[in-house]
Order: sequence, then C-alpha cells, then structure tokens
Amino acid sequence: MSGFAAFAGKEAREILRTWRIWVLPGILLLYALTGPVLAKLTPQLLGALAGDQLKGLVLPTPTYLDAYGQWIKGLSGTALFALIIIYGSIISSELKSGTAVLVLTKPVSRTAFVVAKAAVHSAFLAALVVAGTLITWALTAAIFGRAPGSALWSSALAWLVFGVLFVALMTLLSVIIGSAAGAAGAGLGIYALLAIAAIWKPLGRYSPAALSTAPSTLAAGKDVAVLWPVLTSLLLTVALVVLAALSFRRRDL
Amino acid sequence: MSTAIRTSGLTKVFGEKCALDSVDLAVEEGSIFGFLGPNGAGKTTTLRVLTGLARATSGSVQILGHDVASAGNSVRAEIGVLPDVPGFYEWMTAEEFLRFAGRLFGIGRRVLDERVAVLLDLAGLSDVDTKIGGYSRGMKQRLGVAQALVNAPRLLLLDEPTSALDPMGRKDVLDMLISLRGRTTVFFSTHILADVERVCDTVAILDRGRVVAQAPIDELKARYGQQKVVVEVTGGADELAEQLGQQSWVTAVARGHNGAIEVTVTDVSTAQQQIPAMIASRQLGLSRMEAGEMGLEEVFVELVGGVRP
Repeated sequence: MSGFAAFAGKEAREILRTWRIWVLPGILLLYALTGPVLAKLTPQLLGALAGDQLKGLVLPTPTYLDAYGQWIKGLSGTALFALIIIYGSIISSELKSGTAVLVLTKPVSRTAFVVAKAAVHSAFLAALVVAGTLITWALTAAIFGRAPGSALWSSALAWLVFGVLFVALMTLLSVIIGSAAGAAGAGLGIYALLAIAAIWKPLGRYSPAALSTAPSTLAAGKDVAVLWPVLTSLLLTVALVVLAALSFRRRDL
Repeated sequence: MSTAIRTSGLTKVFGEKCALDSVDLAVEEGSIFGFLGPNGAGKTTTLRVLTGLARATSGSVQILGHDVASAGNSVRAEIGVLPDVPGFYEWMTAEEFLRFAGRLFGIGRRVLDERVAVLLDLAGLSDVDTKIGGYSRGMKQRLGVAQALVNAPRLLLLDEPTSALDPMGRKDVLDMLISLRGRTTVFFSTHILADVERVCDTVAILDRGRVVAQAPIDELKARYGQQKVVVEVTGGADELAEQLGQQSWVTAVARGHNGAIEVTVTDVSTAQQQIPAMIASRQLGLSRMEAGEMGLEEVFVELVGGVRP
C-alpha cells in the first residue's frame, strides 16, 4: 500500500510540475471563461459578421442555457480530443523512458502502477471539471443575472463520467499500443463509434454511448434519463482499468 | 552458505530466437558475482527475468529463496536494481528521486533522511540542485547506483553499471561494490573484463544465451592457465615463434614483454618436452620457461571467441 500511495503522490506532483498543469487546465479554463461571454455576445457577433444578409431574421435572446451549452460543447469537443491525445501515452511514455522499470523493480505491483495512474488522472479531471463548472456558473450569473444550477451541474457531471471513462480507455490502449499516436488514434476511433452507436435507441438509452450526446441535452435544460448510461459507464470504467492491469501484468518489460 | 540467486534450466525465447538457453546459475550470498558476456549474449534478458520484468519461457528462478514469478513485492523489497539505461523523472532533483524511491519501499522519514544524505554523497550529487533532466550520462548512472541502494538491499542487481562512467566514476563505483562485499550480494553484468577481475570473486560467462563457464575467478584462470607456456630465449625468438606456430599441439603464439613467447597449447606435457628440444636444435639459450597464467580476457576470448554470426 505504501508503494501505491508513494507512486500516486509522484503522479500528482508530476501533474503539478510538468506541462500537464498547463494543457488540459488551459483548455478548460479558456472555455469556462469565454463560454458565458460568447453566449451573451453571439447575436451581436453574428449580426456584425453577417451585415445585411440576416436582415429580417430575429435571433433569440441568449439565456443562461446558452452559456451552459458553450461550456459543454467545449468539454465534448476540444477538451475530450485533448484528453484522448494526452493520455495516449499515460503508460507507454513510462515504458519508453525507462522510469517504469525503476519503479516496478521496487515494491510496487503492476496493478498498483496502472490503478494509481488511472485514479490520479481521473481525480485531476474531476477537479478541472468542477473548477471549470464553478467558473462558468459564476460568470453566467454575473452576465445573465440568473444561473440555476441543476442543468449546468447535471450536464457537467454526466460529461465527467464520460471523461473518466475515456481516461480508463486510454489507460488500456496505452498498455496495449506502444505508440502514443496509435493509442490516441484508436481512442478517437472509439469515440466516433460511440457517437454513431448512440443513434441506435437501445444503446442510446442504456449504454455509455448515450453520454456522447446527453450532456448537451441536459445543458439545454431538457430532460434525459442518464441513470443507466452513467451506471454502465462506471462499470465499464472499472472493467477497462482491470483489463489494463491484467494486460500490463502479462507483458514483458 | 545460502544461495542468493539460483536459476535452473532458465530459457527465454522471443519468437524464433532463443535468447537464453537453459541457463543454470548459482550465486552465493555475500559474493560479488560478475556476469560476463559479449553484446547480445543475453545478459540484460537474464537480469530482466531475475527482476521479474520478463517471464521465463521455461525453467525456474529463485531469488533469496523465493520463486521470482510468484513472490512479487516480497522479493522486490529485498533487492536493488540498476538497469542498463536507468530512466528517471527528469523534473525531479536527485534528492527528490531518492526520497521517492525510499517511499516506494515504505522507509520511514528519519531513516530516509539519513540514507538520502549518505547516498547523495556516495553519488557525488550532494551539492547538485538542478533537475535530473540536466544531468550527464555519468551523473545519471551514479544516481542509478544510489537509488538501487536506498533500501539497503540483500541483493544488488546491476546491468553494466560502469559502462557510461569516466575512469574516476568507474573507480568510485567499483570501490563502492568492493565495500559491499560480505554484506550484500552483488550480481553485475558487464563486458568490461578489468572491472570483473578487480572486484568479483566469482564469474559466469554467457555466450549466445548459454553459460559457457561459471567458477571462482582464480579457479577459472588456473583451469586455463595450465594451457599456456611462456618461453624466453637468448636470441632467434622470431624464428622460434614461427616454428612453434606450425606445431599441431600449439593453438596460438603471441609475443609478450621483453620478447617472451606466449604459447597456448593443447598438451602442456608435450610442450614441456618439445620446446626445449626445438631450442636446443636451433642452438639457442633458454632464459625462462614456465606455465603462464591466462588473464580473464584470454579466458573470455578462448571461451566466446571465434567467428560470430
């Protein structure tokens, strides 16, 4: 257990002291800060850009839901793609640099190595999403004068479950595929498949595929049942980490 | 005396390539064991199997009495390992890395404070505050040795520990290994024969995945030393050497110090009879004739030499 805690501590310090503290937090901060402002200014911006072309077309007055939508759009797009690319090397980079060998010849099991990484980076992602959502919430309240929490938090937390699922998926892919680019490519492919699978109703209702679209629906203030997708996603997350650990235990280093 | 490492029929196959072919090793506790072999002989593969990083295709490996395949953390808690190219977290300083390594072993803070100070001193990194990313290869190697000692291991496994070091760094590491004699079993792979001759008491020579010799160094040298004869004559050494080279019982002729002829022979008694007769027939004076000791380098070349694929 001491080995697990020490390695998890290293992983957390590595986030704080390397490029990891800038990239994903930077992307999320950008969306959190600009989302509500962009939502508020979208009609004016469109009007200015389109000139006379939109004459006669009345754009709806933006609401706090538009600000929430911007935040979730950022999470579901750029942030998720960045996550997939960044975590394509979550395990393989340590194998390539030789650091894994130094750690794994000490009393740290391979299972602890994999689980510590998945757990710390999931916690990191959770902290980022909570922080970004708080910023969005505060800015939305300041700009729109009104910011009910349920639509924002339910959508952000639903996306967080989806994001954590992808941290687990990339952990497995990084064990199986030595190339970071290869693992990232596989991760993006799986995301595309999930998005397509969500069209089929049974999968769109019960499976993790539903979480590729449900956060946007929730952010728009509409009702959508996410209990089953959340449960199956959490189960799949655990299964992926277990699979990653088993696969890592079997391979020669 | 108990055995620190015992492998039996250890075999490792990669696809169609047999990297280790039924390797049997026995390393006594407290010894400094040199694991010699040319590049590609299988030294690193052996160390990877010994440390549990790779699985043997067949055969068994016992480390400090535990089966390495199933023992897990209990074995790793008692060993120190330095890979051939140690990888470090480059954003850490040497002190941070040693503390991190110590925490992986669950070493308490007070003990760790003391050990880190001693090991930084040993590695010559006490006054270095820069991050590991800025270190030279030699500094990383010295830090690698230091981190392998952080848990005061019963068994130290080192893969080519001196290959990247300058002469002073090499001497420091070898002196450190000598200082561990009797307290820690040291198993180190190398292709630097001088290092082995200097610090090891026992050696195994690996060639193309097979152990071709395993014995205490003195015994190994004596075994092969009997097949070498050193001759000094008063004149005509070149002609005599040429004639010796044509004899069926001579495998090699070389010239040593002061014009001495070093003759490697298949039959010492024949050499002892024939060489004086040849000198007498050439009417030369015999200044010296004795059985010479083969150096480890010559033993090594004798055992693994020849045309390589």
